[in-house]
Amino acid sequence: MTRWFEDITIDEPFPLGSHTFTEDEIRAFGRDYDPQYFHVDPNAAAHSHFGGLIASGWHTVLIGHRKMVDALEAEEVRLKSLGQEPGVSGPSPGVNRMEFKAPVRPGDTVTYTLTVTGKRPSNSIPGWGLLFNSIDAVNQHGERVYHAELVGFSKLRDFKMPLRLAILEALTKLPGLGKLLAQRS
Amino acid sequence: MNPVTADRRHFEDLVVGETINLGSTLVTRQMILAFAREFDPLPFHLDEAAAKRSLLGGLASSGWQTAALTLRLLGDAFLSKIASAGGLGFSDLKWKRPVMKGDTIRATATLAELRRSRHHPQWGIVSIDLDVKNQKGQPVMSMRLANLVEARDPEAGMQAPSEQPGDAEPAGQP
Repeated sequence: MTRWFEDITIDEPFPLGSHTFTEDEIRAFGRDYDPQYFHVDPNAAAHSHFGGLIASGWHTVLIGHRKMVDALEAEEVRLKSLGQEPGVSGPSPGVNRMEFKAPVRPGDTVTYTLTVTGKRPSNSIPGWGLLFNSIDAVNQHGERVYHAELVGFSKLRDFKMPLRLAILEALTKLPGLGKLLAQRS
Repeated sequence: MNPVTADRRHFEDLVVGETINLGSTLVTRQMILAFAREFDPLPFHLDEAAAKRSLLGGLASSGWQTAALTLRLLGDAFLSKIASAGGLGFSDLKWKRPVMKGDTIRATATLAELRRSRHHPQWGIVSIDLDVKNQKGQPVMSMRLANLVEARDPEAGMQAPSEQPGDAEPAGQP
């Protein structure tokens, strides 16, 4: 999230926007990353239990990720326009769970929502907090397309690094000395 | 019988413990920039100067790109050779180390679990453990995928003992 760890509210849905999947982009994604016949070949796809072409689940997930990146960037701009300093997010360590629930067909519009369902300060990385994020994707009929549970990092605003850690970090940044310290220990 | 998948390996042909070498992919600067522009336009995937200043220390692929490239390797080496009926999702995806420009990623798939679908006797479910390493042999990503596979003999599925309650199975697809 582009908010400081302390400012992130739990269970408050954050809309990420919608995307309409065209046949061309479904097939292009399939050719690049998931060339199974029901993602690339409309005639062969008619023989599948889907009865026609569907988007790769990974395609719907990657578009959801793109919507999240765009929505968080817009939120950062909004916070700056209010004179606030946006928070800082870190790289994601992973995805606990991703469930593909219903197929996405050409012309379907999928709407994405992000919800932070839990947070706690990181035990291993001082100054950062762990976020437990859910993303839900729903089609134009209100059917759930996928449900995801992801992990993210967000920086603490009010974190004061203990003096001992601050000195250690400064020492490791001195040229030569960091190497020397590593050899001695 | 589905004419597209008739000659492929079906659920009954798969064996737990089977390991498939999925081959490798070189991850170039061009690939990183093109993928980031489309799916993950963050400064440290798009701009080498910003990447050098970031935690990653240089231009690295989006973790999602590592996943998508692995999916392609899995498709070519395995999913296109079985009677796949679509993915159910994945779990425990862990990004363990960044993939830097010029790295080569190498993947293996292991069939970890096979079970009949509870609600659909015409399908079985295969759980696939994916393990991805870089050219130095360091782990970069792992996950477990669940994929539906057509069964040759749906009646065997109807006679199969029912699974434990609470063993949720998504209704779904892609």
